[in-house]
Amino acid sequence: MTAISSASGQSAGGQARTFVPPVPRPDINRKRLARMGWGFSAPALLVIAAVTIFPIVYSVIMSLNNVAVTGNGFSLDGFTFSNYNLLIHASLWRDALFFTVYYTVVTVIVELVIGTCIALVLERLVAGRGWMMALLLIPWSMITVINAELWAYIYNGTYGVADYIFGGLGLGHPVILGTPTPAIIGLMVADIWKTTPFVAIIVLAGLVMLPGDVYEAAEMDGASGWYTFWHVTLPLLRPTIALAVMFRVLQAFGLFDLPYVMTGGGPGTSTQSLSILAFNALFKNLSFGPGAAVATSTALLVLLGCLATLRVFRAQVGQGD
Amino acid sequence: MRNRKRVGWHRYINGVVISTIVTALFILLPLYWLIASSFKAPNDVGTTQLFPNPISGANYSNAFVGFDFGIYFRNSLVVTIIATALVLVLGTLAGYALGRLPMRGKFTTLVILLMISVFPEVAVIAPLFLLMKEIGWLNSYQALILPYTAFNLPFAIWILRNYMLGIPKEMEETGRIDGAGALRTVWTIILPQALPGLFTAGIFCFTACWTEFLMALTFNDSNNFRTIPVGIADFGGNFQVPYGTIFAASVVAVVPIGILVFVFRKFVISGLTSGAVKG
Repeated sequence: MTAISSASGQSAGGQARTFVPPVPRPDINRKRLARMGWGFSAPALLVIAAVTIFPIVYSVIMSLNNVAVTGNGFSLDGFTFSNYNLLIHASLWRDALFFTVYYTVVTVIVELVIGTCIALVLERLVAGRGWMMALLLIPWSMITVINAELWAYIYNGTYGVADYIFGGLGLGHPVILGTPTPAIIGLMVADIWKTTPFVAIIVLAGLVMLPGDVYEAAEMDGASGWYTFWHVTLPLLRPTIALAVMFRVLQAFGLFDLPYVMTGGGPGTSTQSLSILAFNALFKNLSFGPGAAVATSTALLVLLGCLATLRVFRAQVGQGD
Repeated sequence: MRNRKRVGWHRYINGVVISTIVTALFILLPLYWLIASSFKAPNDVGTTQLFPNPISGANYSNAFVGFDFGIYFRNSLVVTIIATALVLVLGTLAGYALGRLPMRGKFTTLVILLMISVFPEVAVIAPLFLLMKEIGWLNSYQALILPYTAFNLPFAIWILRNYMLGIPKEMEETGRIDGAGALRTVWTIILPQALPGLFTAGIFCFTACWTEFLMALTFNDSNNFRTIPVGIADFGGNFQVPYGTIFAASVVAVVPIGILVFVFRKFVISGLTSGAVKG
């Protein structure tokens, strides 16, 4: 009996809220449980490593080699830094990097602002909140390719409904997907339509969990609604928002589906993201060395983003313990 | 102040209600356009006709007969269901271990898993493509099932681990005192408690597999193994984009996921808010 209770007392991994003996006794049970834990995790961790970590490492190796693609395979022909040299001096890579960063920053900010507004409205909604939540999930679950086709249809120059509306408002007939700036804005609108609801749901969940007594205190002090929002609501929401923003930013960085289908990266290369550039280099031009270098640079930037926000990741994991 | 009682007509017409309607229209109008256009006669798709008149099913029959949308649908279904099942089995075991067993290094493992879940797919496609070419996996179901399983496992483990943490220890001890083996404890005691977590992880994995595009495009581009997103993206090939057919196929593709998400919306929202990982 004592063996069982001490094993389970320690099985929580020395958490603060459970009682832990000051001097941990050597415990066979604990070792056995740890071994079992790695045994249980091994299949999942191996699958993940095989498909993510191993290829990422291999991608780095490829990017540092002269890769020769032949009819029935490929070979690595020696170490070189030329792939990265090419990258740094290529305006294509710089343009793609600039577009990806610019696109990420603008969409995330707009989605955050509109999403927070929607959440604030829905929090005050008395009837029909459940229906609105269900409605918000539709764009979230939409296949991005379909989203792209739908908005391309809306933007079409001859029969698109956007053109019809612009014409009706006397704004002329802008060629939306054929000119760089309108094409970028068009992509952003499609992205905002799909992703703002996701931000709204997260912020709403954060709002609902805020303690009510803080608001009562603010009201007693005679704070205005606007003041309460800036000085009470927003600071309390910060952890929720920080997490959502971080994941949105890191994911938006891999942007591929939407511009690939909607504009093909064009007109010219004005909507070519890093992922599209890498994909084209790899599978259209079969330049595996430079392609791998672009892919690696993208992964590296995401990794840097992860490390810069490591605190948020760690806090997220630590939360449960 | 925050939720003041409204009287008279203000109960029905006020800022909150108007903003809600605007939001709903913002979401619904593009969806309406998608559905309405799919029911237009093929010749009317290229116009700004607001209501389909006459209502036609020609686009739908064209998607299935003229194009092989039936095959794409079947492929998506096979890949998605098998990958989701694998994710749930492997994720439950790993989630249990990382949530409840005294493993050294599990904190680091979890942080790394969370990071992998936001990693760009483009970083892995080149080596995976070459590897699959080498072992003859290109244009097969396993070419997608394996990567989909791997890419969705981190989030599933994360969600399940969080649910496992919340299960009272006494329940597990009961099983251990009864002399149940570790796997049986997971199956009979832990699993029923973690059921909401399984729904959440399952629906997220299903949605991600159903909508994935880049790997499906790279690994499976033969007509017999294309999934829905690749199929729809490839409809527009020659001179004109057949939007009618595309939208008919889109409606068929969106309906199952829409029903699933609607039925399990509670779990989707709990997943979005507890993990906030998937965008």
